[in-house]
Amino acid sequence: MSREVPRVLFANRRPGLTASLAEFERGGGYRGLRRAVAELSPAEVRRLVADSGLRGRGGAGFPTGVKWSFFPHDAPPDKYLVANCDEMEPGTYKDGELILADPHQLVEGLIVSAYALGANRATVFIRYDYERAACALERALAEAREAGYLGEHILGSDFSLEIHVHRSAGRYILGEETALLNGLEGRRPNPRLRPPFPAQKGLFGRPTNVQNVETLACVPHIVAHGPQWFRGLARTPEGAGTKLFGLSGHLERTECFELPIGTPLREIVEEWGGGVWRGRRFKACLPGGASTPFLDARALDVPMDFTALEKAGSRLGTAGVTVFDDRTCMLRVTHNLISFFARESCGFCTPCREGLPMVRECLARLEAGRGTLDDVDWLKEQVPRINLSFCALAQGAMGPLSSLLALFGDEVLDHVGRGRCPLGEG
Amino acid sequence: MPTLTIDGRTVSVPEGKTILEAAEAAGVRVPHFCWHRALGALGACRLCAVTVLDGPQKGVRMACLTPVQEGMRVSTLDESSWNMRRSVIEWLMANHPHDCPVCDEGGECQLQDMTVAGNHAVRRQRGRKRTFHNQDLGPFIEHEMNRCIACYRCVRTYRDYCGGDDFGVLGSRDRVYFGRFRPGRLLSPFSGNLVDVCPTGTLTDKTSRFRARPWDLEEASSVCPHCALGCAVIPGGRYRELLRVRADPRPQPNDGFLCDRGRFGYGYANRADRPRQARLEGRPGTLAEAVAALRERVEGIARQHGPEAVLLLGSARATVEANALLSLWARRLGAADPVFDLAARRDGAARIFARAAPALRATLADVRQADLTLVCGADPLAEGPLLALALRQAARRGAAVRVIDPRPVPLVCEAERLPLAPTLVPEALRFLAGGNGAGLSQEVLQPLAETKRLFDAARRPVVIGSAEGLGPDGVRALLALVAGASRPDRDAKAALLLPGPSSFACARLASAVPNAQDLRRRLGGGKIRAVVALEVDPLAEAPPAVTGVIEKAELFAALDYLPTATVGRANLFLPSAGPYEQDGAFCDFAGRLRAFARVLRPGTPILHTGKGNHPPRTFSPDVPGGDAAPAWEILAEILGISGGLSGARAEIEKAFSFLQGLAGLRADARDERVLPGGEPPAPPGAPAGPEPAGLRLLLSDPFVGWEPLSAHAAVLEVLRPEDAVYLNPAELARLGLAPGARARVEAQELSEIRVARAADLPPGLAWVVRRRGSALSRLPAGEVFACRVAREEGA
Amino acid sequence: MDVLDEKTLSELAARVRAYPYPREMVVDVLRAIQERRGWVSDEGVELAAQLLRISPLEVEEVATFYDKIYRRPVGRKVIHLCDSVCCFSRGGEDILKHLEKRLQITLGQTTPDGMFTLLPTCCLGACGQAPAMSVNLRLYGHLTPEAVDRILEEERREVSP
Repeated sequence: MSREVPRVLFANRRPGLTASLAEFERGGGYRGLRRAVAELSPAEVRRLVADSGLRGRGGAGFPTGVKWSFFPHDAPPDKYLVANCDEMEPGTYKDGELILADPHQLVEGLIVSAYALGANRATVFIRYDYERAACALERALAEAREAGYLGEHILGSDFSLEIHVHRSAGRYILGEETALLNGLEGRRPNPRLRPPFPAQKGLFGRPTNVQNVETLACVPHIVAHGPQWFRGLARTPEGAGTKLFGLSGHLERTECFELPIGTPLREIVEEWGGGVWRGRRFKACLPGGASTPFLDARALDVPMDFTALEKAGSRLGTAGVTVFDDRTCMLRVTHNLISFFARESCGFCTPCREGLPMVRECLARLEAGRGTLDDVDWLKEQVPRINLSFCALAQGAMGPLSSLLALFGDEVLDHVGRGRCPLGEG
Repeated sequence: MPTLTIDGRTVSVPEGKTILEAAEAAGVRVPHFCWHRALGALGACRLCAVTVLDGPQKGVRMACLTPVQEGMRVSTLDESSWNMRRSVIEWLMANHPHDCPVCDEGGECQLQDMTVAGNHAVRRQRGRKRTFHNQDLGPFIEHEMNRCIACYRCVRTYRDYCGGDDFGVLGSRDRVYFGRFRPGRLLSPFSGNLVDVCPTGTLTDKTSRFRARPWDLEEASSVCPHCALGCAVIPGGRYRELLRVRADPRPQPNDGFLCDRGRFGYGYANRADRPRQARLEGRPGTLAEAVAALRERVEGIARQHGPEAVLLLGSARATVEANALLSLWARRLGAADPVFDLAARRDGAARIFARAAPALRATLADVRQADLTLVCGADPLAEGPLLALALRQAARRGAAVRVIDPRPVPLVCEAERLPLAPTLVPEALRFLAGGNGAGLSQEVLQPLAETKRLFDAARRPVVIGSAEGLGPDGVRALLALVAGASRPDRDAKAALLLPGPSSFACARLASAVPNAQDLRRRLGGGKIRAVVALEVDPLAEAPPAVTGVIEKAELFAALDYLPTATVGRANLFLPSAGPYEQDGAFCDFAGRLRAFARVLRPGTPILHTGKGNHPPRTFSPDVPGGDAAPAWEILAEILGISGGLSGARAEIEKAFSFLQGLAGLRADARDERVLPGGEPPAPPGAPAGPEPAGLRLLLSDPFVGWEPLSAHAAVLEVLRPEDAVYLNPAELARLGLAPGARARVEAQELSEIRVARAADLPPGLAWVVRRRGSALSRLPAGEVFACRVAREEGA
Repeated sequence: MDVLDEKTLSELAARVRAYPYPREMVVDVLRAIQERRGWVSDEGVELAAQLLRISPLEVEEVATFYDKIYRRPVGRKVIHLCDSVCCFSRGGEDILKHLEKRLQITLGQTTPDGMFTLLPTCCLGACGQAPAMSVNLRLYGHLTPEAVDRILEEERREVSP
């Protein structure tokens, strides 16, 4: 940790501890909310967020200001704001860390965002396995209520808001926002057809904005310090803000760091991650979670920013960076990833329900050295077709598969040629 | 109207339509599984991939989800969408069993068609296929989950379209399971639609399992005979056995759906005890002998004792042609009109409605499109089940559904009910039409005023009643309500549920004013010497005062295909053909004539004659049990009309001008001809009799157990309701009856024992659901009678 | 045995009454039943349906979707071992082998004494502590065979000291 980096979202983070309301306020917490309700109209808050260049931190990277502009803020109640803390994409654990470290950030983010959107009900959707985070959040909500930040007439204004916590029961698909809405309604959490979009007909048929936890946490900071400050946090001109990077895989240090958007991958791997473990060499990484295409060593100098990563053939995604060393069989890794997506398919559409298990079996054959060149051709055909799935889940699965074939095609063919894995037992 | 081209064909469709719908209109078939005309798009199967060559979003798109745009150019033939469709088939076939030889869907399986169309022949997938345990879904539907391709049509049909809540989607990922919480009979009265909508052999008709390949079936366009709605059906049979009934997929009139009574109630045709041979004074004979005897004896009695000695009984379930020829026979004999309905009140109501202006008579499509529906004195699920389904479609589009009825009328959609004594329902209708609500209490008037506001604001309201529930007074009020509410910008319509598929035509064939008093006089005068029952069972349906006379008649002739009490007692019996065994026409509840074509010739099924051995080894020009003839043919013979059906229809058109057009109707094309309105009967001179004091008995019909055809279909017996008498809880307590206790119910000198049950009824009312064969069920439904209900001691 | 005690039942019923759409409580009710009984039996599904005024089938549709609603009996402690890419790449499979050896069961099974059920799970959100597992909502990371032995011992002791 050689470098000085701005500490915004992790300003109050202490190992193993959860920041209390007092600590949060000492660090400037709820200043954004105070400013918003006292000085700014909802439209002005929306404007600040649009100007900040904030992009969604949940994986898709959609500009938050644009998403908010679709929301019918002056429609009659009920209007819902939902924080998406399903966070089940392998390699991604930043939202859990954020809530455990400093839950009031999410609370404040929800209140300010609800104020900006004119939402009168907010829900935090939290995954089954984040029970500790859910409890920390509930404590924070109680503290916020007690302090007048939440409930009727927040800080003496006309604005009122209640926040619920919904504990889920374990499925990755609920991270998809329309599946999440079905889950909240107590229906089978299959994704919904769009249109209508959640902004028009979301939870219980009412306008709904679903936002990632980290995205919401950024909002009060933008309101408190201004959009220019936020943009200035990034290391690339087109980027904005800091980002929580959760490191995992074959690194010496697998922790979650807050770093400026645009920090080069090499710096993340070598400095923050302490380099590839056991003195080995970098072979590849998933730069933003299990659904982002692999990058190989040629991409180490790419700045970790939405646009730069797209240019490099991948995506920033959730910025969960999973690194693989040079002894890793990428076919085996892809097999594991496809197994995950096949198992997490909701089973609604054919490419995902039937296609992914077939891809899984094909990869298993190849991995075991029983595959043929026909199998490889067949895999290539699958990518554009499975990409025509109903929602993004199966499309996400095609990220690693297509990059396996593009970047590590020789390694795949080697399995066929030798009739076994060229790298031995992983 | 955007114009686009699909595979080079140009087509214009309304804004908002999808590529798939446009392709259908252009005659281009886009392969699909989950899309269904009545259920709409879902986007799950991904089979309908097409390529948009020119348009806002180029590339491979799902045809069912992509709205059309002006100038769009679409191809279904280019390589990329073709490849996608091939892959979808490959994915689906990876786990699909190759049990097509023993699959009842084989030959009419969409998956099979698409597999062939997609050129998929080699399974690349290795390893074991996915398997599931099946559920016992009851006597109607066979479940074979291994064949499922998860198109979700079944759930959307069962839950969304039909309103059931006991069948759904379980599990997830590649183990999605369509079934029930626990094995058991599907409870929706529309469960059979699963058979039609399922594109594979996952859900098939259990009643015809393993009996025939689809291409071996004899099929024809027919009209359902199980109620007056006139649903379009395609029955199928083989080896002289009726094997199944499916819905005609075309949208009109029933939107491609059927009720389980219409679908599974066909067993009457195949019964081993079906009367198939003519009988003369207890002696078996040929049909020709019996026809000659019938003519001679009736004509003889008319000559000897005068035409008033002849009583002809027409029938709601006989064809329009048979009933018309019976009328013609009465004319020739100089006798009184046939009695088409022995229930005088229901008959009177039907005769009024049958003369209403066509524009006021609602069809099923009108109900589906309604923005407000009122159900007054009618039980659609029992009296015309598809009407209940149509109500649900209206409700799904946002229409309010209000029920005004003494009974807790079950529906398959949300409805608000106003419980009202049966005699007050007509007054409620008059209030809605602007009347002062005389005789209605304040607590009734308040919700009624709210309903009136809704009615006044609605643009396409439909008011639904039933002939037996409303009676003549109620039907007058019903028609006055909708006639008064119709304006150029506003289409108010009425629907009246009638007992059978020819009821409307019979009511029109009869004079405008019922001859109930005349009938009583004739029956009481001891003059009746000849009774001819055309496909009707008066002994089960009429009270003792009537049946006593009929049974004593010198000639008691019956034409029928059901083993009824009447057939058993008749001294001259002529076997007639069932509705699917002849060409003919029915007339639906809205006065629409529809022709149907013969599916099978009548004859004893080979299953019975060969006792399972096939084929018979003896050769004979006669079909065993094949003597039966259509009733119209028998009557034409008696009347000396030649030329087969067209000859008979020509005579009928000549005699009854309102049946003009009957001869031109084509069954295959589903032609229909709307009966014109007529001179409405004058309001009655005599006021209705006084309301009986004390406990009153109200009878009504069940979904299954009364309608004569399905009551003779053994497979439907599980749907028969319990023999219960329903009272409101306070009444039950007053009578000292615990729910479940045995109670003796007496009315009109009839009596039987029933199980006492509590129900949400107005005070003073005992409600009995009829069952064919029970004593009390001989009383007409809809009317109220003074009655006694008392605890029955002993076992 | 009743699926839920009187007190829990009335609390849940009160919450259901407070919701404009009772169905939205379905996961909460199923989890409440599971918390008391370890798993959700058919009777549990029927009770939930009754509370939420929907059909048992509609509850079952949701219950069978989620991985962490158990519709079959499980041991007193359910071990969910992560098999997603981060844990997998840091020795998750060795931990599985070790667990199977120690418990003498394979994935999906319950130990004969009814103490542990071993199930896989997708990513637990503990990628920085890979390999990881959870035991009844308690998270354990940086697993080694020795750590697993210690955890099993502690978890077992917690039930029967």
